Amino acid sequence: MKAACHRSLWIARITFLEAIRQRFFAFLFILGAALVLASGAVRVFDFGHSELKFLADFGFGGLFLFGSILGVVMTAQLFFAEIDNRTALTLLAKPLSRAEFLAGKFLGIWAVLGVFVLVLAALLAAMLGWRAAELAQLAVERRLAPPECDLAGLALYASLQWLRLGVIVAMVLAVAAAARTFLFAVVVGALAVLAGQLQWLSQELLLKPAETGLGHAALWLLTHLLPNLQQFNLGDALVLAPHQVTAGTLPWVFLSGVAYVVAFLVLATFLFRRREI
Amino acid sequence: MRRALPWVGLFALFLAVGVLADQSWRRARLALPEIGRRELEPTVGQGVLLGVLGGFRTVVADFTWIRGYVLWERKNDRAGTELLMRAACALDPRSRFFWENTGLAVANDMGHWEIRRRGGYAKVPKEIQDHLLRGYAQRGMVLLDEGIVSTGGDAALLATAALVAELQLKDLGRSADYYRRAAEARAAPWFAARFAAANLWKEGRRREAYVWYRAHWLKVLRLAEDGSPDDLKELRDMEHELRLPLLQRLPQQSWEVSQPGFVPRTNEGVTAPSPVGGQSRK
Amino acid sequence: MTAAPAIEVRHLTKDFRVGLKGVKLRAVDDLSLSIPRGQVYGLLGPNGCGKSTTLKVVLGLVPATAGEVSILGLPSATAEARARTGFLPEAPYFHKFLSGRELVRYCAHLSGVPSDRVEAAVEEAVALVDLREAAGRLVGTYSKGMLQRIGLAQAIVHDPELVILDEPTAGVDPVGAAAIGRIIEAMRARGKTVVLCSHLLGQVEQVCDRVAIMDKGRLVLEGAVAEVLERRDRHVLTVDALTPAALAAAEAALVAHGARLSAVTHPRRSLEELFRELVTGSRDA
Repeated sequence: MKAACHRSLWIARITFLEAIRQRFFAFLFILGAALVLASGAVRVFDFGHSELKFLADFGFGGLFLFGSILGVVMTAQLFFAEIDNRTALTLLAKPLSRAEFLAGKFLGIWAVLGVFVLVLAALLAAMLGWRAAELAQLAVERRLAPPECDLAGLALYASLQWLRLGVIVAMVLAVAAAARTFLFAVVVGALAVLAGQLQWLSQELLLKPAETGLGHAALWLLTHLLPNLQQFNLGDALVLAPHQVTAGTLPWVFLSGVAYVVAFLVLATFLFRRREI
Repeated sequence: MRRALPWVGLFALFLAVGVLADQSWRRARLALPEIGRRELEPTVGQGVLLGVLGGFRTVVADFTWIRGYVLWERKNDRAGTELLMRAACALDPRSRFFWENTGLAVANDMGHWEIRRRGGYAKVPKEIQDHLLRGYAQRGMVLLDEGIVSTGGDAALLATAALVAELQLKDLGRSADYYRRAAEARAAPWFAARFAAANLWKEGRRREAYVWYRAHWLKVLRLAEDGSPDDLKELRDMEHELRLPLLQRLPQQSWEVSQPGFVPRTNEGVTAPSPVGGQSRK
Repeated sequence: MTAAPAIEVRHLTKDFRVGLKGVKLRAVDDLSLSIPRGQVYGLLGPNGCGKSTTLKVVLGLVPATAGEVSILGLPSATAEARARTGFLPEAPYFHKFLSGRELVRYCAHLSGVPSDRVEAAVEEAVALVDLREAAGRLVGTYSKGMLQRIGLAQAIVHDPELVILDEPTAGVDPVGAAAIGRIIEAMRARGKTVVLCSHLLGQVEQVCDRVAIMDKGRLVLEGAVAEVLERRDRHVLTVDALTPAALAAAEAALVAHGARLSAVTHPRRSLEELFRELVTGSRDA
């Protein structure tokens, strides 16, 4: 077990080094950071939103959109690079199992996405913290209640987004393990992410609480094959209205996320095990 | 059979994960009001928008609002204006601003646009004008009600609904009800309680107005730094109008004596005592 | 008890499904061979004959349709078997952002070299392929020959008993190819088994102890190099200072004994030998 972890970590390390050098990563990283920083300039359009909510939304949006794109494209790209360049030949000829290989790829890509989330969240925290302090001062002067802004909640939200991206990476790895081309993996992976965002809606529309039976069970399983990615979008509540998040919500969301990561990695290993390199 | 075993295992794994995910979603959705509120039940279109845009939706809402606002300024595309403004509300249902301004646009403006579209005030008969204005006012109220639910009972939105009910629908009772809810909500506007009592009073429900206003002053307004002297003055006027016996009136406050225009109350002109909060009305 | 052969292939068949209809393409057809330990073994054949497929099945990269393969007595698709095997694929590609040393270190860790032995193993492998000076440079700056050599280094860093090389000298100049040949001989001297797939028949002839020739997925010929290349129906005599009179007398003597002189020619050296003679010392910088 220790040796297996050792090998997976080495695969992860090299995958991380490879990913962090990609121009695509740098591009989306800069774009995401620019979006967070630009929110300060676009505040004039906030239409009386809680200003902090407006700032936060830009940050949440950047993490969501660019993180998802990175998760899908980078995973497919790094996987197929090993296949197309035939480095997979060299690696899998060593005493490295396919499960260890996939685990290593997952950890490496997830680590890069962790850097992405951490930096963007730190930028957002700086923007929110600075503006919240200013607004709190103004509120004291006007004898109003200061706006709520929980930076610890932002840290929790960042962790949730990192986990969400982990689910996406695991899902795309499962698709890539079966796919023949990079483009197919990207397209299907993106569709799977989209479906994951809409999974809650399919549940609401298709699963009527009163119905039971085999059909209902089949529909239930079908709608739950894909993870419900909407459950990770708790930014508004965690950062701006912490009292809205009930105790016990976050542990369940984290557990659900981890479970999906494991399930998709198992599926990926199963699909990859007989693949001809 | 042996070949099917791994697939069975995968099936069981995803089944277990699905059960876990269900439990997680049950809790998480409560923190997502735009999804979690059963009474909202977003349409498929709204649901797709919420799902697809994720964290970006409120930014998209703002830009949708800008477009709707431009159409509002032009005043020649009622349907387009309403559609865009409603879209902004759907994308960011927690924003009071969108609900408030959409409700006001529909309630106050669109009736007049429709009259103009039909030929103008000289051409359209008065009954039709009233019907249209009332119809759009009702529509605006429905929107405001939806907004009140989405925003969790925002006090300012309740006050806006009260204003529309009073000015457009001429329904003082309904207006008073909204003002009362606004007064009892978080961050209540300073005037909400006063207007609630005033509208109830104007509707002839004077005793009810006083009882509620008095209870609210004792519970909430009195705790303000200055003790809400203006509200207390209104209550004193009500007590005088209702000719309440001294014992049924609010006790004199220590700081009241120093207030400008203070008039000590007496039992002069008081009618037969009636219990505070009773149903007798003048 | 005799040691199990380095590689044992028994009735190996591999079919690929091609196209939408899934038509079967038989790449390897009932192949059986046994590669003994401690030798350099050449696996030859034209393009598409099934050599690379056979190697991939041996290494567990591709599952067999039928048949069995074992490495050093162990089932080939196991991690234990792969731990005792080193592999250099054809036209290897390595991460350009790693230096040669980092690449070999990476492969050492993946191959199970104990952490306290990694640095020593890396230096040893790098020294064996004569890349000590260039090991600190990025792999992206290497020439073809250097790439092949660093590929060799990663294949042997964990001191495997069996080394499989697929076209190790493809695209490499004769000097570089000769260097690789010397490395292969050094590995044999250390008791390793080397399986060599190559189109450079001259080199195979020089380096290999045994060869197998495949064509259309089947084994056509297998045996020791010296045995399979010998033409036992003919003899070669090398004569110094042959005069016309001596030639005539020799021919007469041969005819008298029932033999026949077929040809009289001057021996030739190969272009490779001439090239090496002339340019030895002009190595990769």
